[in-house]
Amino acid sequence: MAVEATGPWRGLRNATILLVIWEIVGRLDLVAGGALPGISEILFRLWQDWADYPRHIWATVYASTLGFIIGNTIGIGAGVLFALSPTALRLFRGVNIAVFALPPIAIAPILVLTLSGMAPRIVLAALGVYFVTMTATVIGLSQADSRATDVIRAYGGGRWDILRQVQFRGAMPSILAGLRVAAPNAVLGAILAEFGGGGRWGLGAYLLGSLGRGEPDRLWGIGLVATVIAGLSYAVFAVLATRTIGATRAVTLNTAVPDAAAPAGSRLGRGALTLGTIALPFIVWWGFIKLTGVPDLISKTPFGVVDYLFLGPTAETAQARLLAALAETLPITFIGMAAGLGFAFLLAISSRLFPRAIEAFMPIALVTQTMPLVALTPLLVLILGRGTSLTLWVTISVTFFPAFVTLAQGLALVPRSAEDLPRAYGASRWTEMRMVTLPASLPYLFAATRLTVPRALLGVMIAEWLATGKGLGNLLNQSRGFLDYGMIWTVAAVSVLLSVVFYQGVVIIERRLLRRLGMATAE
Amino acid sequence: MSLKLDRRHFLGTAAASAAVASLPLRARASTPFTMQAAWINDAEFAGYFIAIDEGYYADESLDVTYLSGGPDVIPESTIIAGRADVALTTPDTTIKAIVDQGAPFKIIGAQYQKNPIGIVSLVSNPINEPKDLIGKTLAVPPVNVISVNAMLALNGIDPADVNIVPYAYDPTPLIRGEIDASLDFTTNVPYTISQQGVEATSFLLYDFGFTIYNDTVVVTEETLAAKRQDLVGWLRASRRGWEENFKDPNLWPPKWKDSWFAGTGRTIENEIFFNNAQQPLMESPAGFMAMTEEGIEANLRALSAVGINGTRDMFDTTLLDEI
Repeated sequence: MAVEATGPWRGLRNATILLVIWEIVGRLDLVAGGALPGISEILFRLWQDWADYPRHIWATVYASTLGFIIGNTIGIGAGVLFALSPTALRLFRGVNIAVFALPPIAIAPILVLTLSGMAPRIVLAALGVYFVTMTATVIGLSQADSRATDVIRAYGGGRWDILRQVQFRGAMPSILAGLRVAAPNAVLGAILAEFGGGGRWGLGAYLLGSLGRGEPDRLWGIGLVATVIAGLSYAVFAVLATRTIGATRAVTLNTAVPDAAAPAGSRLGRGALTLGTIALPFIVWWGFIKLTGVPDLISKTPFGVVDYLFLGPTAETAQARLLAALAETLPITFIGMAAGLGFAFLLAISSRLFPRAIEAFMPIALVTQTMPLVALTPLLVLILGRGTSLTLWVTISVTFFPAFVTLAQGLALVPRSAEDLPRAYGASRWTEMRMVTLPASLPYLFAATRLTVPRALLGVMIAEWLATGKGLGNLLNQSRGFLDYGMIWTVAAVSVLLSVVFYQGVVIIERRLLRRLGMATAE
Repeated sequence: MSLKLDRRHFLGTAAASAAVASLPLRARASTPFTMQAAWINDAEFAGYFIAIDEGYYADESLDVTYLSGGPDVIPESTIIAGRADVALTTPDTTIKAIVDQGAPFKIIGAQYQKNPIGIVSLVSNPINEPKDLIGKTLAVPPVNVISVNAMLALNGIDPADVNIVPYAYDPTPLIRGEIDASLDFTTNVPYTISQQGVEATSFLLYDFGFTIYNDTVVVTEETLAAKRQDLVGWLRASRRGWEENFKDPNLWPPKWKDSWFAGTGRTIENEIFFNNAQQPLMESPAGFMAMTEEGIEANLRALSAVGINGTRDMFDTTLLDEI
């Protein structure tokens, strides 16, 4: 390389090169006959349309802020409870995993059915932030400096004093990091609910009205604004964190569900606890419906779904349709998991081997995380068609980012001294990677897999809904056309259940394997 | 499986409406009344916008709240949940729900005498009738697959011979030739496509045997019992709104540039095209919103072709008679 640019200049240079390439590709209509417009065309369109934007932006910011506040209040409250009581943490493990794993597109129709006005948007935004913040709080609180807690104890302080004076202070960086990662989730959740929920204002509603025009520059403009809002919400908390505590910056958090130590007590007590853990998500579901007071015809309790699927007059056809959909969805979901993880893995290794190229790629990666997929998928169809490759790319785009960040962290944490050994013996970079770095970062590979696996189902369902017309994603949509409420709830329940099973499956394999290798789980 | 509305909910509504009925006439000056539309704000709902803006509903002592729709909004759900008094629906889904699930619905009026849904294609690769679809790729919103299957069956075409893919609200794949045709409102999409410099052609499912209404006015049986006079008033005012609208279909859409149509993402020119195109589909010798015996008969016949066996008593024309 001729000129060695450094620091922010290098970032700026890479970004400029990227924008110039985008502009040329867009101007020459190289992608699918103009489905990707030049960046200047998008900006010009944005400027022309600007009068439309303020009220939509305001509605999106309003719903996502409310959801952010509510979700985080509950998240921090729950985090404190879980840090204080390992029993509560165990009891709520099922609920927590379900919230983490639930595919938003299956939940949005349910929320629109049962709630009204802004509520579906706020709830979907809150669901997007709860888990991240709760986990960050638990991790932050449980990593308190034991020497400081000992001091409080020695001076006669109680549990509350320790919490207030030591643990909370120690947990602040972790909680702030959680809020930072959670903020864009709130924005995306609100936009998804706006798209489907039938309100007049919000970027999601604007996107829906604009889709019918067949003008990609408008769609990219809306995506760009969504990206900027999500990015700004991230930046606000990043600045807040550095200002207040000067903590190091992480792009994402490890989102392993915090696990309590095995509880003491009788076998009977432990059994009851496990039973409670499994039962609680269903109790929450049942309670939600009773609270909203929506009639049985449209809102199904767990009993309602069992009735629909096994006992009712249409049970047999319902089962057949569900099984047929699952047969279409599951195989591609497994391939999608592998593809998403593989892509993240390649990217993480490349970021060690060719750091510059990956740095330039990162802005694109970030845009794919905040551009609403409902806008992107019709354009992807033009490039990839409606087959397996489209489903895989949508799934990869939904899954790879958090997995990549986790893996990159893992690779970066391998001790230098361990890497130096093979190097001293003249090993190539790749040999060193293979023999030391990769095995050493195995715990992070598992952490990344836990992140990827539930999201793969989401990616597949989005592609099925918008492009391929198969499987669970399509069944969900057709059921709405038939007013088949039982099936709408069944698909939502089954998709959450599957995601939880995938997640728990990884956890079990991870524990077994890491224990055998004498490694610790990456929490 | 019980599909009745729960009793407490019913009693609550009944008690509330009884309370309203017992009030002196002047206090009823504005009865709150909510309607659930089928989609986002566009010319499809022009008549209701006029009736709201020009006080036609107020003349009927109704204070109307208007809820717009969207992809996740099932209009029938809103009335079951008690969040709206009337909903604009597609009759195939409504009747299927009554037949299959015993849903307590009555159809009391119909906005479109002919369903505006049709097959849209490009003039350069035209699909002029159902049999042209054989071997072609057709994009259909998943909620409308039922209608397409009905039309294909009525024309003796095996659905397996048509490659049906989901339609994701964006006409770009059609314009770019990735699909051969799409199912959409023929009152709307041809305009959008012409804006991209391409000419579109279309035919109605209605003209090929799928003779159903659209935007049928649906209420629950309990609302029908409790708010009959309000519903008659709503129908009367809505008819006035549509009559006013079609005196000059070009007149109203521009007026709503900063109100009903503000920020929808669509253009006023598009709404004007829409408003003109929908006029012949809504007119009926019996007046706007009407349901004639022949019309109802045609709906039932078309639906029975796809195994949805509705009956005459699912339609209640007595409110229209009172207008």
